[in-house]
Amino acid sequence: MKFKEGIKEKNIIVKCGADSFLPFALVFGLCVILLGTVSPGGGFQGGVIVASACLLLYLGYGYDTVTKSINMHVLEVNESIGAVLYVILAFCGILFGARFCQNVFYADGKIGDLISAGTITFMSFSVGYKVLTGVGFLLMLLMSLLSTDEEEQMEE
Amino acid sequence: MKKTIAVFSLLVLLVAGISVMVYTHDEVAPTYDGSGTDVTELYENPEDYDVEGASGIAEIIVDTNLEKTMAVNDVASVVFDYRGFDTIGESFILLSAIAGSFVIIRMIKKREEE
Repeated sequence: MKFKEGIKEKNIIVKCGADSFLPFALVFGLCVILLGTVSPGGGFQGGVIVASACLLLYLGYGYDTVTKSINMHVLEVNESIGAVLYVILAFCGILFGARFCQNVFYADGKIGDLISAGTITFMSFSVGYKVLTGVGFLLMLLMSLLSTDEEEQMEE
Repeated sequence: MKKTIAVFSLLVLLVAGISVMVYTHDEVAPTYDGSGTDVTELYENPEDYDVEGASGIAEIIVDTNLEKTMAVNDVASVVFDYRGFDTIGESFILLSAIAGSFVIIRMIKKREEE
């Protein structure tokens, strides 16, 4: 029960930790998504790192601030947009006369550029967007379950 | 309208799956370089073939990755190009997991309200 009390009181150490690590999590996660094809990393990993910022916000400032700053339904819609984008990019292979999911228009740009690997880069971006919004939505759902417990405790 | 689209897409998948099954039953699919090597024969008698320096698909991917995809990260090219269809399934597993947890949490909340 000590853990829940700590969240209610908004401990100064947890708050400072959330303040300092939240921008780091956002920038580092977006960097991992963007540089997925030229360095170790990729869509899935970067998306989960960005979604962890949601959890940091909850630990530092409580459930009310999270619901005010992040809209759950926007996340829900954007996850479907990411999934549809991935399928459209995969169908690009068929439109260009190759197989499903094959890499096309990769011949422009130098090796090691950000946008040099054709559809691989954009597929990585779309999967990153999808995982970012999806895991964020999942964390918000679990937080809403936790918050009802806290309200009950307050009433008691 | 939604039902028609769902039935149509399922029918396309069914027809494609049946055609692939019939095609692969008649003849063995060609190997990576297009030559029709008999894979069962190669597995049973590897001494009859030149297998020196052959470490399978990994060496082929590492050697020809830069010409084929221009992606420096080999893992990204495997995940999004060579195994792109697998990634679709993985990302839709996430979607279905979120839908399932949404339903369960809504049920718990409704029961608490009652």
